[in-house]
Amino acid sequence: MIDDLTAAREQMELSLSFHIVFAVLGVGMPWLMLFAEWRGLRTGDERWTALAKRWSKAVAVLFAVGAVSGTVLSLEFGLLWPTFMARFGSAIGLSFTLESFAFFVEAIFLALYLYGWKRLAPKVHLLCAVPVAVGGMASALFVTTANAWMNGPVGLVAGPGGGLVATQPLGPFLAPTAGAQMVHMGLAALMCTGLAVAAVYAVAMLRDPAKRDGYHRRGLAAGAVLGLATAPLQVLVGDWATRAVADAQPAKFAAMENVSRTMAGAPFHAGPFEIPNALSLLLYFDPHATVVGMDAIPPPDRPPMPVVHASFQIMIAIGTALVALAGWALWLYLRHRRAGRAHPTDRRGFLLAMAAAGPTPFVALLAGWTVTEVGRQPWIVYRVMRVPEALTTQTGLATYLYVTAVVYLVLAVALVAILRRIAHGATPADPVPSPSTRDEVPA
Amino acid sequence: MSAVDGLAVVIFLGLAAYTVLGGADFGAGLWDLSRSRAQRDLVVRAMGPVWEANHVWLIFVVITLFTGFPGAFGVLSRALVAPVSVALLGIVLRGAAFVFRQYGAPDGGAPVRGTALWGRVFAISSLVTPFAFGAAAGALATGTLHPDGSAGLWRPYLAPLPLLAGALAVTCCAYLAAVYLSRDAERMGSAGLVARFRRRALATGVLAGGLALAALPLLPPELGGQLLGVGLPAMLASAVSGVLGLVLLWHRRHALARVAAAGAPVGLLAGWALGLYPWVLPGRVLLTESAAPPVIAGPVLIVLLAGLAIVAPCYVFMLRTLRTQPDQPE
Repeated sequence: MIDDLTAAREQMELSLSFHIVFAVLGVGMPWLMLFAEWRGLRTGDERWTALAKRWSKAVAVLFAVGAVSGTVLSLEFGLLWPTFMARFGSAIGLSFTLESFAFFVEAIFLALYLYGWKRLAPKVHLLCAVPVAVGGMASALFVTTANAWMNGPVGLVAGPGGGLVATQPLGPFLAPTAGAQMVHMGLAALMCTGLAVAAVYAVAMLRDPAKRDGYHRRGLAAGAVLGLATAPLQVLVGDWATRAVADAQPAKFAAMENVSRTMAGAPFHAGPFEIPNALSLLLYFDPHATVVGMDAIPPPDRPPMPVVHASFQIMIAIGTALVALAGWALWLYLRHRRAGRAHPTDRRGFLLAMAAAGPTPFVALLAGWTVTEVGRQPWIVYRVMRVPEALTTQTGLATYLYVTAVVYLVLAVALVAILRRIAHGATPADPVPSPSTRDEVPA
Repeated sequence: MSAVDGLAVVIFLGLAAYTVLGGADFGAGLWDLSRSRAQRDLVVRAMGPVWEANHVWLIFVVITLFTGFPGAFGVLSRALVAPVSVALLGIVLRGAAFVFRQYGAPDGGAPVRGTALWGRVFAISSLVTPFAFGAAAGALATGTLHPDGSAGLWRPYLAPLPLLAGALAVTCCAYLAAVYLSRDAERMGSAGLVARFRRRALATGVLAGGLALAALPLLPPELGGQLLGVGLPAMLASAVSGVLGLVLLWHRRHALARVAAAGAPVGLLAGWALGLYPWVLPGRVLLTESAAPPVIAGPVLIVLLAGLAIVAPCYVFMLRTLRTQPDQPE
């Protein structure tokens, strides 16, 4: 039987991972759905409308699972870390209050969207997708600010009893990493969604060449453009986020970059390679700048370095690979347009690459959360409260962990089965005679 | 009235909204435990568009509680571990099972394996969740809970009042759902279903009233005194609404009965809240102990009121648009 602290940590990790993987799809899919319906309305191409309808079903299922697993989290904060919530609940309250309204708006307009296809005028129906997409994204970003506050608590002052009291309702939004974390998370949701959707159609086309039709091409193109266009932006934002961490959380940064001792001209590690002076150069634009290492952090305040460093490297590797994939996809597409070469989706290699790329942003997403969460250890609120101080006095937490693991495993399997089922079914054929309609695919 | 008082009122309103709207959805889940296909279809039809928005009220209450009264939230999180854990399990299974069942057989194709099983999971978790919440409310009223959770994981709930309160919560959900479904069936023009749900509404309404009366002698004396004092108007409103709801149902005034039916559980809830106030755990922890400082409570209250002012009209618009026989999701 594992001890209660470990069980509580693992439980948090499990419920956050489950929530985040499906919630990012619930955040990203409405944007694709909105785009597809808009294209369908504008061009009269029923394949786009069919995609919007198909995607809206996936959104319905993902939203429900995201809603209930998010409820678990909001109550779990209290069940597992009551001291944290009792002390700092009001400090992060505004983030969650705003999140709940974003969520209300999303739920209400999603109902109108799902059940209003025949009831609402087409333009009104399309407009209903806007609050769904905006509300979903906003709720994700609001929750992210609460995490940013835990990484850099703003607005705490010593109260009359000696304890710290929150005095800044906007604290989560003013946290030093809030901006970078929000943009990084928002782009991650779009990247994950785009590449997951593209992978679904790539797999379908690989399995059945008859499916290399306009419907599947459009599905793949919309997902690939969303996922791949955000990849280079994400690399830039990742750089911004790393700089923000270097300024605000030197211990996390030292763990991420594997800087054991403070040194001038620190090298940059990329997998097994070490590039001399590169880290100093990247961080401060000076090859001889001093980078704070883990030796500057008192031993009880050090996060576990290997996990954080490995996760960070995984995230960077995936990000870099996806930028390369984006470049290749763009090149293939331009050669198709300009030189009349084969469409990218007629190339088996490209489809294989898109199919393989599908799961990678999710791995990067979880690795990124490992960096930010494990990198903050041993603190639950950075330099204010340690994780063990926040833990409940309730014992036997391992039981909760095992129950949660079983329930979430069953739900994940069932959810994937339902999503696969939603992806199947009749799709509209290309108009006859079939001109090269693929050229309409937006770039 | 200070901003913190305002937050307490908003939390109560959220709780009342969750009790009526969320409660009706749980009740609908109970009526899903039926052999009648038409009855189950009506449940899906009625719940499909609204249950997620209704569920958000719970998230809203939890968030407003830990924002406005973080100390109370910490205490409740320690004291109510068992019922909250059970309710969470029920909430996850109920929500997931509902969509899995609903989308398990799209395009008229063969259902995904296990879809029927998810239907059962949906119904049973719809029973367990309100029972757990009711038992939690009952245990709070008994005053046997300790702020550090040392009263035991299960023991405080295995007492007459919490068990009765759990049963009362389930019955109220079933009653609310039956009243709403009878009106939905009327709108669909299905006389058979109207009669079915009218009978069920009458039976569960009488049962809920009986359980509420049976709970009165079990209340600890202080709480009973509070109920007959400051809580008396709420209890009277509950009783009057309950009787009125049954009379309206009897006379087949289904649309009006819906309004009256909501009054009975809300009155009970108001009586419970007034009876407890200003305590969270009677005699041990005050609600206002370590409440949010005014500098936080003020802006949060403004955001809450502004947010509700935006969300409420949207919700009503959604209900009105989808009221008559909603389209099946495409």
